Amino acid sequence: MNEDEDKALATHEQELRRGTVVFASLVACRRPQYGYSLLTTLTEAGIATEANTLYPLLRRLEKQGLLTSVWNTEQARPRKYYTLTDSGAEVAAALHRHWLELNSSITKLWKDGTP
Amino acid sequence: MSALTEIYVDNVTRHLPEDSRPDIAAEITATIDDMVDARLGEDADSSPDHTATVEREVLEELGDPVALSREYSNSPQHLIGPNSYPLYIWALRWVLPIVGLLAVLTNIVTTIAVSPGVQIGEIIGKTAGNTVIALLTAFAVITIIIGLGDPGRDGGAADSLRKRKPGTWTIDDLDRRDSHSKQIRAEAGLGLVFIVALAAIPFIPTTLLYVGHLNDGETFVNPDLGVGWLLGYWAFLALMAAVEVIKFTTASAKPTVAIIGGIVDIAMAVFLTIALLTQPVLHPELTNTANADFQQIITVIAIWIIVIWDQVSTWRIYRRNRR
Repeated sequence: MNEDEDKALATHEQELRRGTVVFASLVACRRPQYGYSLLTTLTEAGIATEANTLYPLLRRLEKQGLLTSVWNTEQARPRKYYTLTDSGAEVAAALHRHWLELNSSITKLWKDGTP
Repeated sequence: MSALTEIYVDNVTRHLPEDSRPDIAAEITATIDDMVDARLGEDADSSPDHTATVEREVLEELGDPVALSREYSNSPQHLIGPNSYPLYIWALRWVLPIVGLLAVLTNIVTTIAVSPGVQIGEIIGKTAGNTVIALLTAFAVITIIIGLGDPGRDGGAADSLRKRKPGTWTIDDLDRRDSHSKQIRAEAGLGLVFIVALAAIPFIPTTLLYVGHLNDGETFVNPDLGVGWLLGYWAFLALMAAVEVIKFTTASAKPTVAIIGGIVDIAMAVFLTIALLTQPVLHPELTNTANADFQQIITVIAIWIIVIWDQVSTWRIYRRNRR
């Protein structure tokens, strides 16, 4: 790939990742997660995420009512734990269905277009 | 939390609405500490220099605080940017009650002075109408002045981003100025302006407020008032100004300074109460009616409302800053 193609790929990957990170965060927050633990969980799952986009995203999801948060001050370092709300669980389930449908559609398209 | 992390967090939160700052600051701080610990856990070297290097790496990975702040705030949708917002609220909290009280006082005094046999209903009607207009005008003036003077509706974040090429941010680009100090200085500066205005009151002619016909354009204050009372008034104002100068130069709101400021304010209120209740402080031409005593009492009540308001406001700011 030449430099222009690399740039175009990076842009498209970023767009693809942006939506994926929202979905992945909702899925991961089915168990309580604080910021850094979520970052690690996503990275270990192969979903590369930058801290400076993840934390603001968590707040936005909380504002939308998909996540709820609570400060845990019992540990040496106070941490804010995020958990999926009922509404968030419904959205995550719907996104999961769409994800599977998309995966199936893309796989079919790929197969059909392969010479 | 190290000083560097503290400065970084301050750089992020200074562009955000005031009510969300403590929560976001705590979360970012915990994140930075977690990231630093995780990296140090992988290394055998735990020297302070190495820890400082890792901290710098973590902060540079988090990137430009202005960009991070933009992620938090999403998009600017307010007339007054977060940088000016505390000053805006402070100005509204101070100026609107003062304008309201002055409008009420002026209307009561002038209505009674112009029509001695006036009914209470007419006084209330005129006062309420004119006070609402005065409050709306003050609100508009404050909003326009601070709105136009704002470096950017997102606190200058957009300008800072435009000046910088993406991916080129390093820890050396951090703005080391403390936004909290800037706010204290701005408030102290405005406080000094108010004090100068108060000091000028004995010289202000009634013509300035378009009621010069009531006493041939003389001052609002009784010209026969003893010099001692005026000197006492200015001495208290000088003490209040000294407190504001200390706040301005040290750029900190230490509890000691706040307590001294509160004591001076209350002492000034007591002084004015004694002055108003023992002699005609306002110009006799403005108060030569049967309701003169009533006007003086209203003035005393107004002074105490302002003083109590100031003490409550100072205490709330101190509590907020201590969190």
